[in-house]
Amino acid sequence: MSNFSEKKIFEEADNWLKNNKKVSLATVVQTWGSSPFGIGSRMIVSEDGNFLGSVSGGCVEAKVVEECISLMKTKKICKKIDFKVSNENAWEIGLACGGDISIYIEEIK
Amino acid sequence: MKIEIIRETLKNKSLNKEFALITNLVNGESEIFFPGNNPSGMFSKYSEEIEKIFHSNKNGIIENSEIFVQTYKNPIKVIIVGAVDISMYLIDFAKNLNFEIIIVDPRGYFASKERFPDTKIINKWPNEAFDEIETNTKTALVTLTHDPKIDDPALQYALKNKFFYIGALGSKKTHEKRCSRLVEAGFKKVELEKINGPIGIKLGGKSPSEIALSIISQLVYEKYKN
Repeated sequence: MSNFSEKKIFEEADNWLKNNKKVSLATVVQTWGSSPFGIGSRMIVSEDGNFLGSVSGGCVEAKVVEECISLMKTKKICKKIDFKVSNENAWEIGLACGGDISIYIEEIK
Repeated sequence: MKIEIIRETLKNKSLNKEFALITNLVNGESEIFFPGNNPSGMFSKYSEEIEKIFHSNKNGIIENSEIFVQTYKNPIKVIIVGAVDISMYLIDFAKNLNFEIIIVDPRGYFASKERFPDTKIINKWPNEAFDEIETNTKTALVTLTHDPKIDDPALQYALKNKFFYIGALGSKKTHEKRCSRLVEAGFKKVELEKINGPIGIKLGGKSPSEIALSIISQLVYEKYKN
């Protein structure tokens, strides 16, 4: 099911694009264990690092913002990022809830 | 994703359409899928699986594929009988919880636009109001007037039409009396178990906002129970 705030996120994405900003969309596409946000949770990120929405309640947002910005700098259309507890970056990015999560990022054009 | 797809999603949502947004996670292609229709291109071979995810009200990646399906279903409609204080707090909570609220109250001085700006209000008796509201097994009823003249006809309608949730404000004693009236009206005792009375999850609070919180909590609980 869609998140209630997705409307706000999509409308804002449209506004940012109209203001000639590059915008990426991040979506939770898979979860395992106790990840806090459900599949389908979304967040938008602008090229200047502004973001709206959430994909994990704060655990991985910083990394997702970083990944979105670098995606918009390259010519890649999309990318799937897996955040796993077994991943050596787990502590660094702070996935303290013990869940694994896959986030799909794509530029909105 | 193309911005056109996002605009189309917003448009379909505002028209209360039910659909899915399907995305190929490898090449970034997306399209809007309406149940019963065939998706285009490479999505077409997954039409059965897309349909299955859509009907289970879930989002997810189709097994052994890189196709992501996001399902869009209409919010649960909550009909509140009684334009009272508790209703105002319920509306506030519902705004962020994906419930659609309709207020029914024949008493004009209660159900005024001034008291309930930006809310759909039907200023009629429940039986007349239900002629104007499309209801189904996903509809919820919350009765708050504790006046049998107003609450009872609404409860009868909801019981007959198998609403997803029925809750009635009032103490245990009030609820016992209410149930006897409904039995007299021809309902079986077992049918009346469907009514949450006293309404709400026991939180201990007594103020209108606290009661509204206990009601909205019960609605959220019922939504995810199964």
